Formats: sequence, structure tokens, C-alpha cells
Amino acid sequence: MGLEYVRISPGFEKYMPKDYVDLVQYGQFGRQIDVQQLGQFKELVEEHPMCAGCFMAYFIRVFYAALPNPEDTIVIGTAGCARLALSQAAVPFVYGNYGDTNAVASGLKRALTIRFPDKEKDVVVIAGDGGLIDIGFGMTMHSWFRREKFTTIMVDNEVYGNTGGQESGMSPKGVQLKMAPKGKQFDKINAVELAKTAGCVYVAKLAPTNPKRIAKTIRRAILAARHFGPTFIHAYTSCNIEYSIPTEKVLEDARKREKQDFGFYEWMTDEVKEYFEEIEKQSQEVKA
Amino acid sequence: MYYVAEVKESDCAKYNCKQCVLFCPEPNTLMFHDSKHTAWVNYSRCKGCAICVYVCSDLLKRNCIQMVMMTAGD
Repeated sequence: MGLEYVRISPGFEKYMPKDYVDLVQYGQFGRQIDVQQLGQFKELVEEHPMCAGCFMAYFIRVFYAALPNPEDTIVIGTAGCARLALSQAAVPFVYGNYGDTNAVASGLKRALTIRFPDKEKDVVVIAGDGGLIDIGFGMTMHSWFRREKFTTIMVDNEVYGNTGGQESGMSPKGVQLKMAPKGKQFDKINAVELAKTAGCVYVAKLAPTNPKRIAKTIRRAILAARHFGPTFIHAYTSCNIEYSIPTEKVLEDARKREKQDFGFYEWMTDEVKEYFEEIEKQSQEVKA
Repeated sequence: MYYVAEVKESDCAKYNCKQCVLFCPEPNTLMFHDSKHTAWVNYSRCKGCAICVYVCSDLLKRNCIQMVMMTAGD
């Protein structure tokens, strides 16, 4: 971790793989990238085996472009679709066992705070609805109760996509899936309200229809986690395989869901609000 | 044979809009050329989902991207 770790030792440039040289020369390390510049720099995440048209893959692409300090970040994931792309990025990735991502992240964040007392090291958990709200529910909630200072991002595809389409706690009521033929009997869990009650200082809910807004939300969640406490983002990332959405209609579906039940929602405590106002004021002064 | 997106560069260069690049789920695949002001596709990485076609044709009505069949090595 750190910029020194990323740079190629002098004289070794011609022996390194082309993709790595591109990453150091035209990548995100050591400079602030605006998400609107996507497609004009070498991205942190590489080719991955996620399905064609997967919007979880899209969210992860924007997530990496939005990281405020990729060289000082550790990403934690777990079993599920998201780890297929997360493990293909040039950011250290820790694979927690199913459900214990937030417990691993708690320990890691505390250790990093002791090891690097004068540096900001970001820890981000990015896992699915099964990993965080079904199987990992206890550890997710307890990390919030303990007010651990890291970001939790739930990429909610409303199904267990990897294992053939079982219903999850986040599937909407009444939905019929391949392994839930009777239709789901219960309501979707309200993860956002749970996070607010459990002590998160910044909570957001979004559908990935606007890259600029996704990036701003992720950046805010990470910055707030540095100083104040746990932060949570609930992102709708549809599973086009299990929900039988034709790939070219995936964005249309996200726009539809945004109008229905995934409208952009952002909540933060007063001290976090003051902090962001101060940061925005400073950045405007720098521009002026 | 692969199903990939192809950008009509002469049409695309008129708009300088970049919206398809911002919505591609694959990293380093649909790129933007700084001096030609056009999007271009890295064919060996494109998975053929056609989200870019939805953005370009259905949302923006610009019709600069089409899906084509391509043989390996083209």
C-alpha cells in the first residue's frame, strides 16, 4: 500500500506487463480523477468474468473510478458476484468468509489505525445482499453498533445470483425466482432504516443511473467514514440473468426502478453535513 | 464469431458526447479518443451487451453505435 509500492523501479519498465505500465503512467494513482473522464485513463479494474451487461460490474467500475485514494485503500468482499470483479483490480482485496466481511474490516481498520497513525487508510466493504443482510447480518449490524470507521456498500441484486436464483431477504415481495417458485412471501428488508438506527453517520440509497452522482456518494461515504463512524450505501445492481432482463434493457430497468422504489436518498448526521459544507467551501476557494 | 459493438466514428465525432463510455459495464473497453473526439471499442474486450446502443440510439437518438458479428483476428 502506498504510492511507493505502486511505482516501477527504474530500469524495469520494459520488463513489466503493458497493462501494468499503462496503469502507472495513465492510471489513477497519485492524481484525482473525475468520473466524467472514464474512458480516457487506464482504469484500476481489469477484465473480469462477470456476465455481459451486468450492472453490478458497472457499479464496481464507477466505484473504482470514484475512490479518493486508491493507493491507500483496501477493499473487502465475500462470496457472491461482486468478488469476481473486485479481485481483478489494482487495489488490495481481502476475501472474507461468507458473512464476516464487516468483522474482518473492523479488525483491519483498527490495525491500520495503529500501524499508520499519521495516514488515512480507507477500508471499504463491498458485498451483496446475501453477504451483508442475510448471512452476515449479525456482523454487519454489530460493526455499526460499535461505530467502526469504515464504509459498507451493499450491491443489491435482490437474489442469490451465483447459486441459481434463491430468494434473499432483499428480494421484493411476491417475486418468483428459479429457486423460489411460490413467490416471496415477505417484504424487502429496509436496510437503509436499519443502518440509520444502528448508528451509521452517512446513509445513501441509489440506482446506478448517474455516474457523477454515484461517484459523489461513494466519495462522501469514504470521507465521512475517515472521521466520524460507519457509513452505508445501498445500491441497486440488477441481476439480468436471474431476473431475465435483456442486456440492452438493463439501464432502462435501473431507470424504471429508480422511479419506483430506488429514488436517490441521502441522509447524514449534522456534524457530517458541516464537514462536507466545509470541504466544498474549501474546494471552491481553491478553484477561485 | 463474436457479437461486439462498433462505433461509426464519423457520426460519433460530430457530437463529442461520451455518454456511452460512461455507461459501459466493462472497464477499458469502450474508450474515448481525445484528439479524434470519438468513442472507440476495444473489440477483444467487448462482451456484446449493447447497453451503449441503448444509450446512443434509444436515449440520445444519435444512432452512432451498431452491433456487428466479428471473427477472432479481425
